[in-house]
Amino acid sequence: MKKIILSISIATMILSIACNQTRKNEKMKSTEASEDTHDHSEHDHNTTKTDDHIIEASTIKNPATSEIIDSYLQIKNALVTDNKDDAAKGATALLAAFSNFDMTQLTDSQHKEYMEILETAKEHAEHIIKSPIEHQREHFEALSIDINDLISLVGTDRTLYQDFCPMANGGKGAIWLSEIKDIENPFFGKKMLKCGNMQKQIN
Amino acid sequence: MNKVFKRIGLLLFISVVGIQFIPTTLNESDNVLSTDFIKTYSPPKNIKNLLINSCYDCHSNNTKYPWYNKIQPVSWFIESHIESAKTELNFSEFGNYSTRKKKSKLKSILSQIKNDKMPLPSYILMHKESIFSKSNKLDIEKWLTELEQSTISYE
Repeated sequence: MKKIILSISIATMILSIACNQTRKNEKMKSTEASEDTHDHSEHDHNTTKTDDHIIEASTIKNPATSEIIDSYLQIKNALVTDNKDDAAKGATALLAAFSNFDMTQLTDSQHKEYMEILETAKEHAEHIIKSPIEHQREHFEALSIDINDLISLVGTDRTLYQDFCPMANGGKGAIWLSEIKDIENPFFGKKMLKCGNMQKQIN
Repeated sequence: MNKVFKRIGLLLFISVVGIQFIPTTLNESDNVLSTDFIKTYSPPKNIKNLLINSCYDCHSNNTKYPWYNKIQPVSWFIESHIESAKTELNFSEFGNYSTRKKKSKLKSILSQIKNDKMPLPSYILMHKESIFSKSNKLDIEKWLTELEQSTISYE
């Protein structure tokens, strides 16, 4: 009888340990899976310079968004160089920048949209902090829309370029913001560094 | 030596039996909220079944519990798992999300299914019926893509 009891309790222990183990394994698996290579060589990607028809968009000159934009660009530049850890650092900085942002300057009509942007941008940053690089890039696609909308909502005093990569987001295309005129693609890094075109200059 | 083992065994046994009496909160609710994903978008029957069989156990306010949820510490593991799953995405409250969040979630749902990240391997292990077949995957991806595109853009 005692032997049976003993084996039952040991079995339960093993079971609970095993459960935790599966979780860890899953994490590892997802890291591996996300590192699989993209082969886009057959795609016809558009790197044509569109300098002759740049749309210039000027925004409200507002320095309040500078810290947010700087940390966004830190993530962007880390992804350009395929650096997962620096992207995570940038996302941590972005969370701090959002909490430093002074919301009292927002008008009532801006406030609602700002809160929605804040909610999703924070989520994307949190995922960028804890995820392998392919998943970081997925969240960076959505984050870029949030930051772009934040700039049209609140403004910036920076000169930025809105770039577009037609191959990102599973071929549906995605935008990103850059502080330099040249194309440096954060969605594919060195695999497709020059893929994309500039759509708009901000300021 | 043998005695020590027996004592440890007995102690373990008592604690394993003991924790069975600690009550757990079940993720169950009788009424389906008006914000529920299926209620809001009324997908075709096959999509609805896929969502319920493969997603709703962890990503909604209503879990169909397996028998082993009666055993501790298994139910603790399941409970914490559901809690974090719902923070990430709760289909029961999808209607409360802002348009921005809806779009972002739809994008994530699609990519998770496409890349076979969801349903989780540990869930599939115990719920064979939750596995998406190739045609299931195509169906649900198609339906979700259309929904994503028809969700009003950010502007």
